[in-house]
Amino acid sequence: MRLWATVLPPCAAILVLLAVWQAATTGFRVPDYILPDPLAIIGTIGSSAGSLGSALGVTVEEAMLGFAIGAGIAILLAILMVLVPPVETALVPVVVALNAVPAVAFVPLALIWFGLGIWSKVGIAALSVNLVVLLNALGGLKAPDAAAIDLLRSYGARPLGVLWRLRLPAAMPAIVTGLRIGLSRSTIAVIVAEMLGAYTGIGQIIYQSTAQVDYLTVWAAVLVAVIASLLLYAVLVVIDRKLVWWS
Amino acid sequence: MKAILGSPLGAGAVLALAWLVLVPLLHVPPLILPSLPAIIRDALSVWPALAAGFLRTLLETVLGFVLGAALGVGCGVAFAYARWLERAILPLFVASQTVPVIAFGAIVVIWFGNTLLEKVMIAFYLTFFPVTVNTIRGLRSSDPERLALLRSFGASGWQRFVKLALPSAAPVIIIGLKLGISLSLAGAIVGEWFGATVGLGVMLLQSLYDEQTARVWVLIIACGLLGALLNGAISLAERRFVWWRPA
Repeated sequence: MRLWATVLPPCAAILVLLAVWQAATTGFRVPDYILPDPLAIIGTIGSSAGSLGSALGVTVEEAMLGFAIGAGIAILLAILMVLVPPVETALVPVVVALNAVPAVAFVPLALIWFGLGIWSKVGIAALSVNLVVLLNALGGLKAPDAAAIDLLRSYGARPLGVLWRLRLPAAMPAIVTGLRIGLSRSTIAVIVAEMLGAYTGIGQIIYQSTAQVDYLTVWAAVLVAVIASLLLYAVLVVIDRKLVWWS
Repeated sequence: MKAILGSPLGAGAVLALAWLVLVPLLHVPPLILPSLPAIIRDALSVWPALAAGFLRTLLETVLGFVLGAALGVGCGVAFAYARWLERAILPLFVASQTVPVIAFGAIVVIWFGNTLLEKVMIAFYLTFFPVTVNTIRGLRSSDPERLALLRSFGASGWQRFVKLALPSAAPVIIIGLKLGISLSLAGAIVGEWFGATVGLGVMLLQSLYDEQTARVWVLIIACGLLGALLNGAISLAERRFVWWRPA
């Protein structure tokens, strides 16, 4: 019931938007290169479902691989930094410096290092996920106050026990927030990297269709990417409810 | 010690030192990571273009950010005080953010021409959403007891807004502004990939096509400096306007 209350208004808003869009583009005879109408875009998705589908598969695979690698490394690093303070001191400058550079600036480097295949995209996705999750996880792991840690210690808990029973559960909401931001960043990072150099993928389709002045396909690819990232986001919301059930 | 390492200047100095020592020591091939002197030489050889690009990208980022922040704060205030407006429009804002706008920069070029405005619009589009969301959250977070106190002293709605709601929202709004400025920078850089002639993004693209690893690093560092500069400016504003909070 509550799920419907949260899902229904946005869906209605999107439907209204699509209807207005359709009416305006057909009513004012807007040329396709400026703004194609939604029905034509959906028609293009239908007619080139095969190529869009296989490209989307590659893009999602790259984004998921990058997301898993980036998030995994981030959480392990955050735990290591909390357990072994010198590691944190050593890594802080790297994190601060990397954080100042927009991830898209590393795309050329990733292409030079890892080539045009999937690994350059996986690398960029991992990088863009990594920092968000790392900073969130670190903040979350440090959130429990000293009194709670002392209490556990006085009952004989080891650092690992404190980590498992107190720090990780306390950090969970912050980590999940980081994962959520990271997920949307990873898909965008992959698409952007694919535009600069790739054999296939949604970003490559966008790039090629732009070069061929085929704007219907550009819009179709963008729409497919939007739907895919909405689905991924929904999956993550479900995971969020499972992991942070107490909030 | 940690404070020095955590500041962008300190972090940069430490990393530069490590770079200077480790690259010759470990015989890192230049294709992976050129030595720091080689990168500085390369930067000096393209100095005028680099400075012009830096200023151009800075201008695009700041213009897009200012527009986006103004709309974001404006909408945030409107949404925080008019629930029906939030119900009706915020879902559209959320949906708008799933569109990877940097993926169809080519269409944005058709709409706004290959001008400064195109990059500004992309930066603007990426900025307004985090600012809106944080403004709403911040304004809703003011303490109801203080609100009741002000009301009992006969404070008008405007006074309650200026004296209580806005100051207690300021720290949260600042977080949104920080998110916004880094997204704005990424938007400006990618926006330059679609046919611009001046800017850090353009130079990044050229260095990729020429496979000049040293030049790629020059630009990564330049983008990082720009990011740190913009973030520093926001932090300065934070200290000025949210002075009651320890930074």
